[in-house]
Amino acid sequence: MGTWSRRGFLVRSAAGISAAAAGPLLAFGADPSKPADMAIARWTGNKDLTAKELQKAATQLTESALAGLGGLGRFVRKGDKVWVKPNIGWDRAPELAANCNPDVVATVVRLCFEAGAKVVKVGDNPCDLAAKTYVTSGIPAAVRPLGAEVVFLDRSRFRETAIKGERVKTLPVYPEILDCDLVINIAVAKHHGLANATLCMKNYMGVIEKRNTFHQAMPVCVADLTRFMKPRIAILDAVRILKAHGPKGGNPADVAIKTTVAAGIDLVALDALGAEILGKKPTDIPIIVKGQEVGLGKIDYRSLAPKEIAVS
Amino acid sequence: MTRKGRLWTAARTRRLVQVAFLVLFAGLVLAARPQPGGETSHLVEVFFHFDPLILIATWLSAHALYAGALLALVTIVLTLVVGRVFCGWICPLGTIHAAAGRFLRWVWPERKHADHWSRWQLAKYYVLIAMLVMAVLGTHWVCVFDPLVFLYRTTTTALLPATQWAVESGSTAVFQWDPGVGPARLTAVTEPVYGFLRDNVFVIPKQGFLGGGLIFGLFFVTLLLNRYRARFWCRYLCPLGALLGVFAWRPLMRRAVREENCNRCDLCGMACHGAAVRPVSNPSGEAGAEERVGNPSHWIASECLGCFNCTDACRRDALGFTVSLPGRKAAPVRSVDLSKRGTLGAILGGLAALALFRTTPQSRGHTFHPRLMRPPGSRPEREFLARCTGCGLCMKVCPTGGLQPAWTEAGLEGLWTPRLVPQIGYCDYNCSLCGQVCPTQAIAELELDEKQKTRIGLAAFDITRCIPYAYARDCMVCEEHCPIPDKAIYFLEVEIQDRSGGKKTMKQPHVDPDKCIGCGVCENVCPYKDRPGIRVSSANESRHPDNQPILPEGSPY
Repeated sequence: MGTWSRRGFLVRSAAGISAAAAGPLLAFGADPSKPADMAIARWTGNKDLTAKELQKAATQLTESALAGLGGLGRFVRKGDKVWVKPNIGWDRAPELAANCNPDVVATVVRLCFEAGAKVVKVGDNPCDLAAKTYVTSGIPAAVRPLGAEVVFLDRSRFRETAIKGERVKTLPVYPEILDCDLVINIAVAKHHGLANATLCMKNYMGVIEKRNTFHQAMPVCVADLTRFMKPRIAILDAVRILKAHGPKGGNPADVAIKTTVAAGIDLVALDALGAEILGKKPTDIPIIVKGQEVGLGKIDYRSLAPKEIAVS
Repeated sequence: MTRKGRLWTAARTRRLVQVAFLVLFAGLVLAARPQPGGETSHLVEVFFHFDPLILIATWLSAHALYAGALLALVTIVLTLVVGRVFCGWICPLGTIHAAAGRFLRWVWPERKHADHWSRWQLAKYYVLIAMLVMAVLGTHWVCVFDPLVFLYRTTTTALLPATQWAVESGSTAVFQWDPGVGPARLTAVTEPVYGFLRDNVFVIPKQGFLGGGLIFGLFFVTLLLNRYRARFWCRYLCPLGALLGVFAWRPLMRRAVREENCNRCDLCGMACHGAAVRPVSNPSGEAGAEERVGNPSHWIASECLGCFNCTDACRRDALGFTVSLPGRKAAPVRSVDLSKRGTLGAILGGLAALALFRTTPQSRGHTFHPRLMRPPGSRPEREFLARCTGCGLCMKVCPTGGLQPAWTEAGLEGLWTPRLVPQIGYCDYNCSLCGQVCPTQAIAELELDEKQKTRIGLAAFDITRCIPYAYARDCMVCEEHCPIPDKAIYFLEVEIQDRSGGKKTMKQPHVDPDKCIGCGVCENVCPYKDRPGIRVSSANESRHPDNQPILPEGSPY
């Protein structure tokens, strides 16, 4: 439309300010006293966790990973409207690892409010029937008591938006998401039949429609969309991972418990870590390779000196 | 029409009751919708359980009785005591016809005229006889025209989707235009209203049904006929009305005329909904011309809807309903006299109609229609057609909107019965609602794990269209959505040559016929929206051993 809305201006200036802030932070990334740009929290305690203990562990891991990043206050300002975008793709229970862990999502929501967010909205564009998928995922039940607004994306309220990508020119994007001051991407690490793995970058496919043609050129389309979304923070949920028959899964034998949560500002790096957790070489995953190629981040995540945090 | 000096009348009470039942019916239609938990209340089918036509026809055709439908005995007992009050007070379609008649006469007035019994009212009895003959021989066609079924189907496939279209497109237009005065936006009003209706009434976005317009057309024509004769459908056509008419042959509650008050003005005859008064000379045969009209004593109990319009219309207190008990002199009742010739004709007509229904190769079992994919749990076709009423309750609760009324796929015998159209909506893996709500159990109620193993068809790739085969590009959306935990769609990596002769590795999808249950999600999500590159056909369906071309791997024995 050519004109900038007040909110759009705020979003853009916030993005500029945080980019400017990220510069010096990068330079001091190796300094353990400074917040890192990537933090990996791994569970080192008792391996045989009961369901209850796993829930607690997921919460602790998420808190630690975000603390390692310097806390959500680095991204959320007082009065912000935050969209938390977990993967709620499939009508599968949390134990099947087809969706994000509800405790990871709930912890992020709680920390958003603690960082001063005024409104926290949680929503995804599921592949299965939304009403059922949301309930089965356990995420609404975990975040509603914290005060988050659970949003169902209405098919007729997407708006054709300019993406200006290499391959994707326009897409129907959900305007309510773009309207928020910050989008927090929470992805679960899963196998994917076509893309080999689905991680943080591919998670953005939940803010759009008309995505089934993406499969014909997945890496470039996902890279286009990720650039459009201007990611500032993402969280990789590897509490449970789906090793095979992804992204939908359904067989408990395909699930592995890795009790790891990572957070960072570089989605390519997070995805590379996720690929390794899935037992794959990051360079075998075309989306990750393409991400580095177009300058979205670094495959060699170790060069970011990620903060390793042991949680028990 | 209020009787002089009386503010409240029986007919007004009746109208209140009618509206209450209509609202209840509409509420039950709206309550029948996909529930996130997967369970739904059996209450949504309760109207059908009170319907004696469905009870009797299912018993005749499928030799099946089910506990819930015994509620229909209540309706039968009610009719034996007080006549066809179900038609006059309860039936929601009857209420709509009564209201349509009033409305049509208001916009298009006519002079009051005598509206007496016509022999054409016998038509419904002959139709009922013909259709019950068909039922005995194993088809449920009579229920397709049951008034409750008729209204349910019309509401589900036409009235609600039309309303939904209006609300969705209207509110979307406002949303995109976003008009307002200063900070006040019109969307502040329209969006919450739209959101409420979307979440609580429509549930499935942009829902539509194949041929809903034609189903509405039939309904609309029957509404218009009310201008020609009040409650045309109820008088001349309704098979349930005819059945209740049989039970109302000699009810205990009867209309009595106080001859000393009656001046043969025929106001009662003009107001009568059912045309239950017979314009014949009195039986003694000594009647003059003035006896030929307006003699209210020629009352046919089977045709009376118990609407109390006559007692309301009478200015001389000449009419009343009395209860005839043993030992008391019963008020006279006249019968509808079915002729032997007509009855025989109806029986032969029913036989002929069924014979013609069954002349198709499909009904002889030689062939199976590839696109007749029945909901999971459906009984074998012959038994299915002996039970299915075509009410549309399964279509109403289907969470993807994929269950659609059949037009030609199941033959004339299977008109408006449900079939899955995967391009519109697939069979959701974690849902078994259709079997839960089916009022006649044409779709058997399956436990979820059983349903997840029930095959309703088999998917097959059209490699002239499927993108990896036809255009050598990646796709695999179908594989991603396949709900079978171990994937009925798998892929093989093959090396192909591209246009410039270079080698390229591709993932090409295949279907495992031992795993595919025919849910159709692959066809639904295929990027082609005109003719998908993978399509499901009814082959391999669990319910028909003769329609299983693929020998399972591993011996079942």
